[in-house]
Amino acid sequence: MKLRATLGYTAAVLTVLAALLTPFLLMGLFSKGVIALGLHVDEVYSGGPKVRSIPMGAYAIDVHRPVSPHLLQSARPFVQLDWTPVSALPPRVSDLVDVDGDGQPDIRVSFDVPGDPKAPLRVDVDSLNPRYEAMRNAGKEKYSRLIVRVDNAILVRVPQGKP
Amino acid sequence: MLMATNAYLAPHAGDPPRSILRSLLLTLPILLWSLLMFANPSARADRLSHIAGAVTALFMTVLFFQMMRTRSTYRWRRIFFVSLGLLFPIGFIHNLLVMRGSMGIPVEEMIAGRTPFCFMPIPFLILPAAFTKTLVFPGSIASANHGIASMIGLWLALTLVMGKGWCSYACFFGGIEEGMAAIPRRAKIRNIDPRWRYLPWAVLLAMVLLSMALFESVYCTWLCPFKAVTEYIAARNLLGLVQNIIFILLFAGLVIVLPLLTKKRTQCAFFCPFGAFQSIFNKISIFEMKIDKDRCHSCLLCQNACPNLSLSKESIARGETLLSCMKCGACVDACPQHAIVWHIKGTEVAVKPERARLLFLYAAWAMAVMFGGSIIAQGLAAILHFVI
Repeated sequence: MKLRATLGYTAAVLTVLAALLTPFLLMGLFSKGVIALGLHVDEVYSGGPKVRSIPMGAYAIDVHRPVSPHLLQSARPFVQLDWTPVSALPPRVSDLVDVDGDGQPDIRVSFDVPGDPKAPLRVDVDSLNPRYEAMRNAGKEKYSRLIVRVDNAILVRVPQGKP
Repeated sequence: MLMATNAYLAPHAGDPPRSILRSLLLTLPILLWSLLMFANPSARADRLSHIAGAVTALFMTVLFFQMMRTRSTYRWRRIFFVSLGLLFPIGFIHNLLVMRGSMGIPVEEMIAGRTPFCFMPIPFLILPAAFTKTLVFPGSIASANHGIASMIGLWLALTLVMGKGWCSYACFFGGIEEGMAAIPRRAKIRNIDPRWRYLPWAVLLAMVLLSMALFESVYCTWLCPFKAVTEYIAARNLLGLVQNIIFILLFAGLVIVLPLLTKKRTQCAFFCPFGAFQSIFNKISIFEMKIDKDRCHSCLLCQNACPNLSLSKESIARGETLLSCMKCGACVDACPQHAIVWHIKGTEVAVKPERARLLFLYAAWAMAVMFGGSIIAQGLAAILHFVI
């Protein structure tokens, strides 16, 4: 019983020490441990990793890897394209984009670039490849079907149809 | 029986106060800790933030002094906790309005990974992360400001120290309902079916499974009452509107109306899945509450005082609280027989309970100053910015 009590008090004192070490050591240590797990944010939110960049003169189109939602996830498969930097975009963008990298254009993406960064965006997508769905006057209705401005890029997500 | 004759009477809220000098000496470590946490002249903060920090340091130190002097834990902790609950939304909303101009989180911010991460979704992230290494939350993992890793790191440290004491010393949501529960003199609803206390476990199980199946934090999207006073989903369509109506109704019902009627923390006791999850960690916490069965007269005043329904006749007969005990100290202060005591696992029950209380309070209050105190200071700074 005495040993158990000694262990109990030792653990209690260590707990107080742990509390005092939290802002200086423990919190950072645990955070680094979480980062070391190699987790990543769901691609439905992040848009997936960038796979290539298409130079368009003053600006570029970054093509992301297609995102396939998980089994019961409500989002549909999509591919994200980033027009960047916004400052180099013309007032009206209308670009043919080779999404899958086969040398043939797959979609035509058209949108206006308003001067006000908070102004709502609308996009038209014409499908030249049945793998990608056309969109008319789309805003930001769904994660898989939207146009938004994030920092210095305009992001367009095009839903994927059946091949 | 031996225990009953040897144990000295547990210091209690009703006992004569400690001497001022002794109370000051016991408070000194917390005073130094508060100064360390808030008096950082090198921090790049404006004058009003420094004032808010100084006021918070004084506030936390005075409350701890009162805990030492009066030997009562609950009523002084409650002042801190209600302040935390009220000032968190003020500071948080002020920050949102400064940064974003709105409480609604737009999809752009979610895609950019700038959704502030609170602790609530932690239980719902575990299964998707374990099976697919994916975090189903639109935040940033490594960001220092409200990042997922830093919040999980903080939560792990706090949980290691306090177990479910998190819900009484760290949760920035529980204070609002604790404040509401403190307002009425008597409860209008007294007979609460004890089976309600299983509901948070049911909500936890349902939300964990749904989050795994649908790959999103369903609780945050549909059921979090505190979205009503923090950061709601920008209602872009009918679905968003419905979600926001649900948040407001849950907040009004569980955080305002029911605590006023029952004098209980009803959101915590009957709904909060994070609280249920946190209960598991009471098993690893070295601190717990125990009931000296030789001294207990089964008057059930402790059961009535418990804001979380963490005491039952059966558990009192066993000499312990239920797994959901938040270590708030309400039962200790309510017991006229000094039968409920703070306890360190492995030691004898009711032997030097004040030592156990002090060790727990030093650990818990250090965390409260560091985490809750910084939130209080942020809220005070927001008010000062608004007023001055």
